[in-house]
Amino acid sequence: MNWQGELNKYLASAYKNWLISRRNVFTLFELFFWPMISLLSIGLLTRFLKVDSSMVSFLLVGAIALTILQVAQIDVAYVLLFDMWSKSIKNTFIAPINSYHLVFGAMLFGILRGSVVFFILAMVSRYLFGFNFQDGGLLPLLIFLAGVFSTAAVIGITVCISILTFGQKADVAAWSLSGMILLISGIYYPVEVLPQLLQTLARAIPLTYFLEYYRSVFIPGPHNLAIGVFLAVFYLVLGLILLDGAIERARRTGILLRLSE
Amino acid sequence: MTEKPIKAAGICKTYKGFLGSSATVLHDISLEIEEGEIFGLLGPNGSGKTTLISIFSTLIFPERGSLSILGMDARRHNKEIRKFINISTAKPNFPWSLTVRENLRYYGMLYGLHGSALSRTVEDQMDAFELGEFRDMKFENLSTGLKQRLSLAKAMLNQPRLLFLDEPTTGLDPDISIKTRMLIKRIHQEQNISVVLSTHYMPEAEMLCDRIAFLRKGRIVAMDTPRNLKRHLGLGERIVVTYEGSVDIAALQGLPGVLAIKSERDRLEIVIDRVEDSLDRIVKLFCAARILNITVREPDLEDVFLELAR
Ligand SMILES: Nc1ncnc2c1ncn2[C@@H]1O[C@H](COP(=O)(O)OP(=O)(O)O)[C@@H](O)[C@H]1O
Ligand SMILES: [Mg+2]
Repeated sequence: MNWQGELNKYLASAYKNWLISRRNVFTLFELFFWPMISLLSIGLLTRFLKVDSSMVSFLLVGAIALTILQVAQIDVAYVLLFDMWSKSIKNTFIAPINSYHLVFGAMLFGILRGSVVFFILAMVSRYLFGFNFQDGGLLPLLIFLAGVFSTAAVIGITVCISILTFGQKADVAAWSLSGMILLISGIYYPVEVLPQLLQTLARAIPLTYFLEYYRSVFIPGPHNLAIGVFLAVFYLVLGLILLDGAIERARRTGILLRLSE
Repeated sequence: MTEKPIKAAGICKTYKGFLGSSATVLHDISLEIEEGEIFGLLGPNGSGKTTLISIFSTLIFPERGSLSILGMDARRHNKEIRKFINISTAKPNFPWSLTVRENLRYYGMLYGLHGSALSRTVEDQMDAFELGEFRDMKFENLSTGLKQRLSLAKAMLNQPRLLFLDEPTTGLDPDISIKTRMLIKRIHQEQNISVVLSTHYMPEAEMLCDRIAFLRKGRIVAMDTPRNLKRHLGLGERIVVTYEGSVDIAALQGLPGVLAIKSERDRLEIVIDRVEDSLDRIVKLFCAARILNITVREPDLEDVFLELAR
């Protein structure tokens, strides 16, 4: 197969997600309403608490990271969820594609949506709360966003794996992963305030490192980007291998047919 | 190509539930399908048709048995096999909010089509299945018949060498069913591909299939050409005559096209090959009797299975 055909196998999921979300009113909520609520509520909280500007940047970076993480992870999970809801999963898995075609295509669209949300929120935080993301420079920003998006992809892949393993209802369990991330990866406070056990867990999440790295651009502090990058790549590769295993298993157990009933 | 489209031996499938329950739905299925034939899987609901088609199309894997599709091992080379096969599922479903055209484009992309070849293939399939005027209609707004046609069009996107059609006419209005059957016949003739189709409707299998396997409770209970099956199993149309008086049953039995006769006191059940050819002659043999009622009905599967269960 030529490279354009191969490329289209990846782009297919992005194309589908784009068409579906374009026609879905809920997209407006996902892209504007909820992100705005979360940013405004945190921004206003910083005013109420009269925190200094470095604390404002700390909290806004956390709020924005969490928001675009949630937008992007949904896109990766949607690649299977849409198929399941429309009962068309057989048509996807009869096609000559691999798990990574689906995941990367969906991730591409997730990155696009996440970037739109980031852009809007960055403007709002600049004009309403005086925090300018550009002040840190472009490269750190891109590295930070890459960290957020790869963590999002890992969560999305985990959702897909749980659906294929435990059936339709399982997506609920996987969604709670982003709640875990909110709690332990240092979104609104440094991980040092957590009990020791949770700190250890936090050190296993790539986002923790990317947050520390990006914040150190504004407030000097220790960080270890290399570990974050390593973990992100490690989880992505592991996730794809496990997803392939889950698909293989779904073909053995027949759950693949159940999911389209 | 010399290799058979499907070579299956000793296929078994067991679905395991979460709580350790398990149900074996296919037992020791062995069959071979010849290049270019339309092969029918006929059986009532729950007999395992969808499961078998899903196994043949590599959607799911069997626990036991050997299976080769287009000369490749179905387990080891399943990804390679998928390039050359396609399926139209029972009760076809596609992403609801995508239009006919967008759905075809999306699946075309999954098959690695791109650029002008993608656009051309999508247009060709819309033409072939008369979907052009519905190209911008969302899937959720299509009638059942149109959904079925879209599903067939999607199944032809990669010009498969082996095509699976799971209950292609179930749930369609009779006139749409007929049209769909003609479409299937046409695709088969024009593309010269091998087709496996499932149905629980005997006349459909008879009209379309070169050979038929009867499935019952996950086992193949008979497999042959429709003609031979009808002969051996007495599967022609059934004429049921209630009458008073006497009839020469031996003469009836001697009529050409009469496959079987079951006689009760005032009631005869005659199984024949084709109604038009023999009805007239049959009725004439009743001239000494008084006919109270005549019904002609197509054989239904219950009859078949009662027959086979003996
Ligand atoms: N994914 C599945 N998990 C568990 N049992 C199944 C599954 N699919 C089908 N079955 C059961 O297997 C049997 C055969 O079903 P199926 O292959 O769908 O038959 P048919 O297509 O002939 O109606 C039925 O009893 C059905 O309940
Ligand atoms: Mg079925």
